[in-house]
Amino acid sequence: MSREAYQVPSNLGGSQNAFGGADTGASGGAASLDGPMVAYLCGECNSRVSLKRGDQIRCKECGHRVLYKERTKRMVQFEAR
Amino acid sequence: MAPSATETDTIWSVNYDTLKREKLFRNPPTDHTAYPALAASIRPHVDSFNALFDGPKTLEEALKDIGTKTFLDGDSETPEQKKARIAEGRKAPRRNRLNVRISEVFLEKPALPPTNKFATRNRNIYPSECRERHATYRGKLRARIEWQVNNGDWMESVRELGQVPIMLRTNRCHLEKATPHELVEHKEESEELGGYFIVNGNEKLIRMLVVGKRNYPMAIIRGSFVKRGHTYTKYGIQIRSVRPDQTSQTNSLHYLTDGNLTFRFSWRKNEYLIPVMMILKALVETNDREIFEGIVGSASSEGIKNTFITDRVELLLRTYKAYNKHSRSACRSYLGEKFKPVLGVAADMSNEDAGTEFLRKVVLPHLGCHNVSETQDYDKFKMILFMIRKLYALVAGDCAPDNPDAVSNQEILLGGFLYGMLLKERLEEWVRSFQPILRDWSNRNSGARFTDSAFERDFLSKIVKRSNENIGGALEYFLSTGNLVSPTGLDLQQASGYTVMAEKINFYRFISHFRMIHRGSFFAQLKTTTVRKLLPESWGFFCPVHTPDGAPCGLLNHLAHKCLIATSDIDVSKVPKALVQLGVRSESSVSVEESVTVQLDGRIIGYCSPRQAGLIANTLRRWKVAGDDRIPVELEIGYVPNSNGGQYPGIYMFSQAARMYRPVKYLALGKLDYVGPFEQPFMEIACMPNDLISGVSTHIEFTPTNMLSIVANMTPFSDQNQSPRNMYQCQMSKQTMGTPGTAIDYRTDNKLYRLQTGQTPIVRSPLYNAYGLDNFPNGTNAVVAIISYTGYDMDDAMIINKSSHERGFGHGTIYKTKVHGLDEKDSRRGKSRREITKLFGFAPGDQIKAEWRATLDEDGLPHIGAKVKEGSYVAAWHNVRYDAASDSYVNVDGVTHFVKYKDAEEGYIDSLRILGAESGVEPCQSISVKYRIPRKPIIGDKFSSRHGQKGVCSQLWPAVDMPFSESGIQPDLIINPHAFPSRMTIAQMVESMAGKAGALHGHPQDCTPFQFSEENTAVDYFGQQLRKAGYNYFGNEPLYSGITGKEFAADIFIGVVHYQRLRHMVNDKFQVRTTGPVNNLTGQPVKGRAKGGGIRVGEMERDSLIAHGAAFLLQDRLMNCSDATRSWICRDCGSFLSTQVVASAAGSRASRIAAAKAASNQSAGSSEKPGGMAALVRCRRCAREAVFEDSRAVLWEDGDGRRYVGGDNVTVVAVPGVLRYLDVELAAMGIRMKFKVEN
Repeated sequence: MSREAYQVPSNLGGSQNAFGGADTGASGGAASLDGPMVAYLCGECNSRVSLKRGDQIRCKECGHRVLYKERTKRMVQFEAR
Repeated sequence: MAPSATETDTIWSVNYDTLKREKLFRNPPTDHTAYPALAASIRPHVDSFNALFDGPKTLEEALKDIGTKTFLDGDSETPEQKKARIAEGRKAPRRNRLNVRISEVFLEKPALPPTNKFATRNRNIYPSECRERHATYRGKLRARIEWQVNNGDWMESVRELGQVPIMLRTNRCHLEKATPHELVEHKEESEELGGYFIVNGNEKLIRMLVVGKRNYPMAIIRGSFVKRGHTYTKYGIQIRSVRPDQTSQTNSLHYLTDGNLTFRFSWRKNEYLIPVMMILKALVETNDREIFEGIVGSASSEGIKNTFITDRVELLLRTYKAYNKHSRSACRSYLGEKFKPVLGVAADMSNEDAGTEFLRKVVLPHLGCHNVSETQDYDKFKMILFMIRKLYALVAGDCAPDNPDAVSNQEILLGGFLYGMLLKERLEEWVRSFQPILRDWSNRNSGARFTDSAFERDFLSKIVKRSNENIGGALEYFLSTGNLVSPTGLDLQQASGYTVMAEKINFYRFISHFRMIHRGSFFAQLKTTTVRKLLPESWGFFCPVHTPDGAPCGLLNHLAHKCLIATSDIDVSKVPKALVQLGVRSESSVSVEESVTVQLDGRIIGYCSPRQAGLIANTLRRWKVAGDDRIPVELEIGYVPNSNGGQYPGIYMFSQAARMYRPVKYLALGKLDYVGPFEQPFMEIACMPNDLISGVSTHIEFTPTNMLSIVANMTPFSDQNQSPRNMYQCQMSKQTMGTPGTAIDYRTDNKLYRLQTGQTPIVRSPLYNAYGLDNFPNGTNAVVAIISYTGYDMDDAMIINKSSHERGFGHGTIYKTKVHGLDEKDSRRGKSRREITKLFGFAPGDQIKAEWRATLDEDGLPHIGAKVKEGSYVAAWHNVRYDAASDSYVNVDGVTHFVKYKDAEEGYIDSLRILGAESGVEPCQSISVKYRIPRKPIIGDKFSSRHGQKGVCSQLWPAVDMPFSESGIQPDLIINPHAFPSRMTIAQMVESMAGKAGALHGHPQDCTPFQFSEENTAVDYFGQQLRKAGYNYFGNEPLYSGITGKEFAADIFIGVVHYQRLRHMVNDKFQVRTTGPVNNLTGQPVKGRAKGGGIRVGEMERDSLIAHGAAFLLQDRLMNCSDATRSWICRDCGSFLSTQVVASAAGSRASRIAAAKAASNQSAGSSEKPGGMAALVRCRRCAREAVFEDSRAVLWEDGDGRRYVGGDNVTVVAVPGVLRYLDVELAAMGIRMKFKVEN
């Protein structure tokens, strides 16, 4: 949207995983209906939790109920002013 | 090195201690906090909550007071039935009794519900999780309920009573004894203090409230007493009697014009009046002589000569004869009969027992409210006699009324105690609520009795279960709204405003919440200002400086930083014996020349002569300071000496909770003594050594700064400022953009301000370190030149050096947290899996546009660090339906919806939390997004020094054009010299010098007030330092103009001042518009900045513009930028309303086309000349119905096809939209407006 924001080279509507390669395999086939698997960080034990659309929100390791979104791997660049 | 064997150092000085602090930051202590003073400042909150379950176990006392409730089955008989029964000689029908009592209450620490099977390691819920999940930090409340039918066995069961919010760092919190290290582990501040609750993610605290001093009969003259009834006078005496469970009952005595006395109390929000003699006779078995001598004194005493008293006591005794109740049991029966219905006792209780119950609950319960013994009843009797004496003394003018607005007659209602009172009341109401349910149960089961076998089965499952057991919900409601929903009123004066949000704008603000004391919202409406006055009694207890100006001035006080509040009763069991040894006896007389009272916590220990009283008070004080184990040092020994019409004399000792007390030095022993507000006015406490008067002074302050609050202590050299400036500074320091804490990442406050470049002030007092305020820096040390330069520093404006700005001076950030939920009503209740209708993410199958992905990730949530502006998408969602077959959610429409960022200001996504439910089984239904909005200082932002000198940034002045000194220093800030003469903030100039000297020598400067004097001035002290550093003694320097390079004619005062950036920024304030949203009805601009409205040009502005003759400006503001509309009007009849659009100008098709063409011309040009052939608008009122002869050319037709002729003298005028609206409204009332249209 913004003139300054880094534009993602968009290949076909974003089904390309812009995230780290960890879960590309999982999201390849089944993802069409249930959405992609995305990894989050547990607020308690800091482990990576991969969730897809409609999954129950909790850490798989410790059962914690707050998950953080990871810092994006995309390039974030703004014009410094 | 983390778990160092050495104990954490808690001694702080004025030094920077950079390394020490660095080490504390890197390795938070594993033993205890390094800032005990800070922890102590919130102790009253935490300790009062702890007292509920530990130590005094207030709640246990409450359960004792609730006692056993008795319910009867069957119907109570009506008086007629009773009469009939007695006539027939039948015995009363036997009714079964059900006794119910609560024997124990448990409050658990916050934990996951058992339904959550997923958490394996740790089932505790910690406060940080509640903040992050916007949930409530609460634990399960359970009560053991016991019941018995008739005299059968007691049965018991434990009931769950919902989840009760829990105060942080109390004995029901996981972090109670957590060390700073553990606190950091649990995502808290290393110096987390607790003392507040977390309700829906907000930090709430119950603020301290001023209430009357407990167990002390106060003489009151109040005009409103006259309104109590016929013959009532303004004289009364009032005692706030407090039970061991901290609930109170106020008892009053009223003086009537004939000399009689009535006892007044309020029970369940209703007021009742009883002749005082009846209470006296009901309390103990007594006779008129005993009462007479109890009030007046024995026949040999001086009191008997006081005819004022003897006359009235005689009348008191004589008028009571009318009741003809003499014995104790007769009086009790009489009272019991009258008060049985309101007390809520069992119907079959005998009248005498009900009377006893009444005395236990209502009459001076502080002297006995559980299993009241004969001696306790006698104590109550003696106390009432004393109250009568004091009241007569007040009426006779022998003693002055007590001032209820003075701290000496006040104590503090602590949050934890109020919470306990509320909990007690809820529990009692819960048990009481069984009554209707039991009756209903009995009726439904065709008159079932308690003895039926069904009862045993149904009691828990059908009766208790039907009652409202959600006590936790009630308390959560209380905390989140601050509203007190109470059938008894809890003996308090207000129904709302008990809780406040603990805002963490900066740390000063936060800590002040815990030190603030409100007088009560009742007094805020009072028109008189007497309650707001700063009284000398407050010395050392309330800070004289730290109160807001404006509406809450004087009502919202803050505790002096050394003022303590007792949270539990101290052991005074040995005091009465010591007093008896000192010669206190029981004989008394109404003459205070002869005997004065000695009371301990509202219990009369005895009497002694006035001379003796002084000796006793002195001896006790010496004993208590010396460490005698009979007299605890915290005991307050209020010795009121005999005086000529002053306060009623006696020795009044107080040992109980909710009292204020403070440390001072006892001169005789050179040791610590605690004084309370009641005794203080009658003591001789010197402030400074030169205030000492030999032979008079008994105490001295440890330091004069003890009287200031924490925040007021942070004003440098505040003794050299004009006093209102210090008040302003206290206000402003709480609005500073500072550092709210170090755990900002884990906080989810709606709005959080943060200063990027905080510094420790060079000029500070040692208390700054003792309270650990370097953990929360609040401002920046700036080089400030006081010079009128460029004119942009006029009128409290200040110029910021642009290069300083670029180096980060005053840079700040705002963090806003928004919860984006999918469920409409923001219901936080968990939904079952199948109820979910929406999910985050792009709709499956819908194509995802690249522009959507500018801020959103593939999961439909924004990526961290994305820049968002108004209208940016911050989350995608779609509708789903639960498909049971595949146990998944299916989306059918394939449409993606978006949540948008609504603020006008650009921000960045700082963090994103995906919130699960406590049960751990719900899919994502809400996310919590933290936005970061950078706020560099811009023109219009507000700054202030620490002396109430606020100013607005008017220019960012280029560094090349700034003046510079001989050493090449340029000021960061320029302020105008005119800021000083009228405001007299000398301390800012001293700070400027001190800061400069401190910066030059590299050492911190102690700015504790009251350390300099006229002989030994601050200017000299710091001037010498400056001279040593090679600078001008007075802090002046030759400065060179940045523009011409020439030296200024005068030397300029330049130094280093700690500057704060205030949170008021133009970006949150500016309000301009030319066009924008308008009101639907009137067409005028809406009001309110949030809605895009403008500032109103009001009547006074209008007057001013008229006076200036600025007609065009007026026209523009009031018409063109407001609701100017073009409207048709009829010139003939002068009406807006009768004009109407012509449906067709004529019957023929050709003319219709012509008319249409004319109409389009007309609307395009909109300068139609009426009277023309093709006028589109006609006045219906001036037209007549067409007849056959009329020419087709002049015909016109309305929407219904009726034809008219004439009415063509219409025109367009520009009028305000509301004028037409007014016309319409008036027409609706049958009033016609007529306008004359010229030319």
